[in-house]
This record gives sequence, C-alpha cells and structure tokens, in this order.
Amino acid sequence: MDVDAFWSALVTGVDGISTIERFPVDDLRVGRGGEIKKVATAHLTRARGCRATALLLAAADDLRACAPLDAAPPRIGVVVGTALGGVEELERAMAGDRRLRRAAGALYDAPARALARDLGALGPVLTVSTACASGATALGLAAEWLREDRADLVVAGGYDILCRFVMRGFEALRSLTRERVRPFDRRRSGLLLGEAAGLVLLAREGTARGAVLGRLLGHASTSDGTHIAAPDPEGRGLAEAIRVALDEADVAASDVSFVSAHGTATPLNDRIETAVLRRALGARAGSVPVNSIKGALGHTMGAAAALEAIMCLLAARHGVVPATLGLEEPDAACDLDHVVGAPRVARTRVSLSTSLGFGGCNAALVLEGAS
Amino acid sequence: MTRVAGLGVLTGWGDGVVALPADAGEAARERDVLVLTPPPLDGHKDGERFRRATRECRLGVAAVEAALRDAGLERDAIRGSATALVYVTAAAYGAANVAFVKAPGAVFFPYTAPSAVPAEVAIEFELSGAYAILIGGPAATREALAHAGRLLHRGRCSRALVVAVETFDECRELWARGRRLTGRPLTEAAVCAVLERGDGDTSEVSVSAEAVREVRRRAGETLACGPLIALALTRVSWDH
Repeated sequence: MDVDAFWSALVTGVDGISTIERFPVDDLRVGRGGEIKKVATAHLTRARGCRATALLLAAADDLRACAPLDAAPPRIGVVVGTALGGVEELERAMAGDRRLRRAAGALYDAPARALARDLGALGPVLTVSTACASGATALGLAAEWLREDRADLVVAGGYDILCRFVMRGFEALRSLTRERVRPFDRRRSGLLLGEAAGLVLLAREGTARGAVLGRLLGHASTSDGTHIAAPDPEGRGLAEAIRVALDEADVAASDVSFVSAHGTATPLNDRIETAVLRRALGARAGSVPVNSIKGALGHTMGAAAALEAIMCLLAARHGVVPATLGLEEPDAACDLDHVVGAPRVARTRVSLSTSLGFGGCNAALVLEGAS
Repeated sequence: MTRVAGLGVLTGWGDGVVALPADAGEAARERDVLVLTPPPLDGHKDGERFRRATRECRLGVAAVEAALRDAGLERDAIRGSATALVYVTAAAYGAANVAFVKAPGAVFFPYTAPSAVPAEVAIEFELSGAYAILIGGPAATREALAHAGRLLHRGRCSRALVVAVETFDECRELWARGRRLTGRPLTEAAVCAVLERGDGDTSEVSVSAEAVREVRRRAGETLACGPLIALALTRVSWDH
C-alpha cells in the first residue's frame, strides 16, 4: 500500500490476483480479481466507511509522505478520475442503509470531494469519468490548471474499487477470464478487475520542492464515436490521442523509449492497440519496449492510467522496465517488443502511456523521467 | 475569445428558456421532479441503434440537435476530429445504476457509465475529436466551459460542444433523502452549447454565480445544466 511496495511488486513479478473475499462471489462465473486485502481502519474511519474514499485517502497519505503540499490551500487543486465513483455506496443505500451519507456518497464525485476536504485543498476540485481512461484525462486536466495558473499544486490521479456492481457488469459482458490474465499472449482470454488508487502531485516546472519524479510532457483524450462498449476497429481515436499528445509534448515518435500499454488481455483490445502502436512508432515498433501491468494488478479501471504513469516514471528512475506478468507466448498479431519473463534493463527517458475505456474513450500521456 | 454559436435547452418545463416560469418553486406546486421526456427518435440515422440507449442518452442527442438548429449548423459541420465534446453531469448515470443494482440484466452494463451519454452523442454525430467527461454540478460545468475554451484557444478543435444532462425521476426516493441539500423542484434538463473561437485573447466563457442562482429560481435545481441554461438566459457577457 505504498509506492515502494508497488514498484517492488512489479519488478519482482508478484501476482496481485486472488479470490475475492470482501463480498460474495459464489453466484458469479468469475470470483477473482486484484483485491486489496487490507485497508487500514483509520482510512475507512476517515472515509466514513466508503471504501473508494478510503483508498484515495491511503494514496494521499503515501503521497504526502513523499511530497509536502506546501502551497496555500486555495492554490491546491484536486482532480481524480474514476469509472465507478461511489457506486458501492449506492448499493448500500438501496440495501436499506437510509443514512443521507450513503445516498450522497453514491454520487460519482463524492470521493474526490472527500479527498479535497481531507487534504485541506481549497482550490478547484474535479472528478473525471472517461471510463477506464479516466486517470489519464485527470492528469491532463491537472496540467492544464497549472498552465492556466488555476493552482500551484494539483493532486491528480485515479481510483476505483472492486464491488458487486462492477463484477456483475463485466460478468454480463463475458469480459472476465477464468484463466490467468495474459496481455498480448496468444492464449489471452479476457481481463480480471482490480482495485487501486494512484495519486501524483503536479507542480509547474521549476517550482516543485523535493525530489521530482518526472514531467508530464503531453496529454490528449479523444472519442471514437463508433461503439458504446467496443473500441474502434481501426483504433482511430487512440491513434489521434497519441498523435496529439506527442505533438503537445513536442516529442517525435522516434523519441519514445518505452510504451506502457493499456493491454487488458481481451482479444480485441490487444490486437487493436498493437496495430495502433505499430503505426505510431513506425519502423521502431519492434525495438521499443512495451509492457502492461494489468497482468499483475488486474484492470484497475479509473486508477489504471495513473498507476501506469507512475510506473513509467519509476521505470525511468530505476532504468528497469517491469515484465508483463502472464505474457509467455506473444501473439503474432501483437508483435511488439514486449518485456517478457523478467524485467528489462533499459533507459526509458520518454514514455508513452495509452488508455481506452467504454464509450469510445481514449487517452495518451507522454512522460519524461527526471534526469 | 470564445463565442457561443448556439444553445439547445430542453427542460422539464418545455423547450427553450421561454418555457421557464418566473418562479419554479411556485409553478411546480407539489411536484418534486419535473420530468423531461425525450423527443421521438424518428429521423435518426439508425433508430435501431438506440434500442438499448437510456433516456439520458437520448436527451443528450436531442440537446445537441437543438443547439445545432439554434446555431444554424448542419450535422456535417461538426462531424470528425475538429469538434471537441465536453460532457458534464452530476447525476445522469443514477437511473441506469439503480436499474442495474435492482436487476443486472435490466440495463446493458456500459450504459451505467457516465460515458454512455457522450458516447451516444459522439456516435450519433460522428465526433472523434478531443473528449472529456466531467462529474459534478455547476462548478464542474464551469470547468467544462473553461476546458472547451482552452481546447479552442490552443487550436485543438474548431468547435466544441459542451453538453450537460440531468435526470432525477428514477431516483426520486434517493434524492428525497437529500432534499435539504438541493433546490426544488428537481428539474430534469438536457442542454448543449456550441462554442467557437472568436476574436481576442480570452478563452473562457464566464457564467456568474448570480446567473446560476437566477436559473435555480426560474427553472429549479438543474445541477450541471444550470450554467448552460444561464448562458441561454443572458446570451451575453462572454467578452471579459
């Protein structure tokens, strides 16, 4: 439950998938996921029992341990992404808990407001919900706020939890695998869900105090406009997001030295994403290391892009790219330079992180590790 | 400067701001929720495509159509990657979420996500440009307007649609628990603003708190739709 443990688990290949224990799964076809087994009572208490908020507060405590929020409260903003918000509070409100805080907690922006209160942040507070690309869009908006001088510091990232609601949803879609999660593997058969919160502290260039992990150089979020649940078959929206993000970053595709892929391990996503990345990276597509951390953590939805952005910067710091857990036999239709089997030593100064979500949401981030 | 080229306003009171009463509380009498029924889908390019779509999705599409009519634009004018779509809602996912909790098969799962409404808008109008989905009330809508203005100002799009939808009917009982936190009546609404780049250096469209209060008085509680309805009420004051 901290950034060091996160990095260590990724590098050592810890499998975060287990049988879900917090709520009943006996009636579900798939009852496994990246469940966080222990959330501190203190965080749950501060979150008034809302697990989504508790994960955010835990992430915020870890963030504050790394980087002080040393700006005037009205100059501290909060923007977080989520696919599910406080939907578990809705389940509780409908199950007979008639307290106002349950009904109010069902609003998707409730956890972000609770986080801002906990942080004492009095600047702009916003929730983004571009489905599973939410974390990336949140980081992009945070950078905008800094550019526009709306804030001096922005706490940005994403979160989502495992709950009956989302398990039943993905079960209905038959998206969940009963096997191992295998991004880009020829045997891949679907995803598993996970839960997480990931936050970063963003400041304008030259104003950050303490150790700087890296820079967000560019961001773009785009729509497909083709299907409510499936990605565009040609990946046009994702390609546009990558193009615009690289343009905003003033970085050429030839400068990209690492790709953190969305890599959900569904047959369709991985094939389409590969095709888009091959087009974007051109001749270098076969030599730019690519990984997906969803084999280790499951798909953490609104948190995914934030965690992947953090992973990109940690990879640059340590000069190591974590392997894609579960990937053993790369699919010929996913022919990229996958990091397979063991972490790879690599200098990854400029990273590209890609995200997709329901409703034709796409996002791309371009990040640079601190030199 | 950002120019408001068109506004589409649908509320539980009727079409446009002309349908708003002088005092929503008085006009609503005993009604807690003013329900907004989507217009018929006849004439859309593929009615079958909306078979699964929720009421709020259809309202989002109807709001964009109304704004295009107001702006004098054809659908072709916004198709493609040059039009940004910024969607904002505080609660329009609630109906689908409640239905899904009651019976998981009742709603196709992707429609429980807030992204369902802008997705249907993007599909209907073939929008593939910059995209953002913000959650919250009037403050989030101000952020949506600011974000759209920045996208225009930075050349990331030539037009931006800011769309807001709020529905309450299916979640009346939950809203009743929080009655003291909201204005009344709860007025369902679907609103779209078509923004374009105008002259000058300022990117932001401003909506004053006073204007949003006036919307609350005239229309009732419309949450994220409030600032866009305020634009329709004033149709001025973007040059600041």
